Amino acid sequence: MIGDLLLFFRRDLRIASTYRSPFVIEMVEALFGAATFYYVARFVDSPQLRQTLPQGTSYFAFTLVGLIFFDYLHAALDSFDRSLEEARDSGTLEPMLVTQVPLPLIVAGSALYPFLATTVRIAVYLAWGTWLFGFPLGAANWVTVVAVLLATLLAFSGMGILSAAYLLLFKRGNPSKWFLLSVSSVTGGMLFPVSILPDWLQFIARLNPVSYALDAMRAALLDGAGILGVARPLTALILFAAILLPLSMGCFSWALRRTKVTGTVSHR
Amino acid sequence: MPLNAISIESLHKSFPPGQSGWRAFLQPFAAATLPALRNVTMEVRQGEAVALLGTNGAGKTTLLRILATLLLPTDGSALVAGHDAVRDPAGVRRQLGYHAGTDSGFYARLTGRENLHFFGRLNHLSDAFLRKRIAELAERLDLHSALDRQVRALSAGTVQRLSLLRAMIHGPKVLLLDEPTRSLDAIAASDFRNFLKSEVLKKQGTALLFASHTLSEIEFLADRVAVLDRGSLVALDTAANLKSRAAAATLEQAFSKLTGHDTRVLDEEPRPL
Repeated sequence: MIGDLLLFFRRDLRIASTYRSPFVIEMVEALFGAATFYYVARFVDSPQLRQTLPQGTSYFAFTLVGLIFFDYLHAALDSFDRSLEEARDSGTLEPMLVTQVPLPLIVAGSALYPFLATTVRIAVYLAWGTWLFGFPLGAANWVTVVAVLLATLLAFSGMGILSAAYLLLFKRGNPSKWFLLSVSSVTGGMLFPVSILPDWLQFIARLNPVSYALDAMRAALLDGAGILGVARPLTALILFAAILLPLSMGCFSWALRRTKVTGTVSHR
Repeated sequence: MPLNAISIESLHKSFPPGQSGWRAFLQPFAAATLPALRNVTMEVRQGEAVALLGTNGAGKTTLLRILATLLLPTDGSALVAGHDAVRDPAGVRRQLGYHAGTDSGFYARLTGRENLHFFGRLNHLSDAFLRKRIAELAERLDLHSALDRQVRALSAGTVQRLSLLRAMIHGPKVLLLDEPTRSLDAIAASDFRNFLKSEVLKKQGTALLFASHTLSEIEFLADRVAVLDRGSLVALDTAANLKSRAAAATLEQAFSKLTGHDTRVLDEEPRPL
């Protein structure tokens, strides 16, 4: 199975290597992104603001973690359905469907490269932030960072697979993705702590894995928290993954079967 | 392997009608009411070549797609090399090669060789086997010069030959080809037919089920011809017997008499369902 997954990764890496400029553009884009957040943070930062932030850190550090993590949410929600859409539009979906690799593995394998590309982009953001703008990377607990990242990937992947199931059935548009991104931009805690929200929005935030992922990642990156220090959000993420992954795989299998009944599996 | 490479029993397939406006949202859940195949029963024996002949919309592509596990039948059963297309699709896919009749289905920015290697690996073939097999088949299909060029730089006919090569790369026991020579020039089409007949059918004993609108191709390749009309199997026999049964001089006339269609429709640009 791992070998099958790596096939898709190698394929996407090879295709990406035929394009030269996007990587350079993304490096520069990350620089400007980090710079923008740095100067916005300088403009609004104050001792009073720092006191309201969970780790008592600078607003720049707080928002940079929020920004890069939102990138992961985007990647999770986009990678699965985009890989499916690209295979469908290029006509490669059907030739893959008659091979010995089942569609869920094709979709999962095709999401590997975008996830890794997002991880690299995030590393570049952090590198620029640390090198030029004083992001406190030295405080990070990397074991916890990796644990949170893995749990987040699993939880977010469930949402991404649900998104791909929707695409299989309805072919275009994705209100679930739009809804999740919109709700998460308010209740995820990207630009401001969830604690400043009214109670009812805080309740919604607690139903959203993004807020747990951000809590845990900020604690690991900015506070150097160990696994026990992030036990609560980490457990929540694992619970989300345990519910969302089987649910999304069930929905995806049903959607695939339905499209084989209606004859629309490769329709646009 | 069982006696029959393909066994189809009382196969029925219906599609839901296309919806527009707000009803399009309900399309995935619509009832299947438009019949595309009606009670089709037939078999293809090991090493046998059977042609599917019919007008556009007769059900040829639908039948091939059910056998390729890309569609689920509404009723009936379809077995490929003894594996049920509904209950054991993975078993079916291990035994078959499928060419969809299009000149797409490759990664435009990868070379022909990289594409073939990727799809071969998806069939769990080893790197060493693939290197040898790709070289062998490319030699036979005159594709050597195309192997190391990006697919986006290849002509439609060359891409179609790549697609045919891909369908045969794992040495399948059953080959399903939908209009295999549609985009090929006359010489490439003739070469490919000769290759199919001498290598794939005679030497390897592969069973072949193919759809075609080219009657000369059908007469050259097919041991038997399955005539489909509006989803029903009208006749399944050798070309000679079909002609004799219909008291016709040509297969074209036999088709016309068996289905009641003006044979000019066979010359239309072919399109899958």
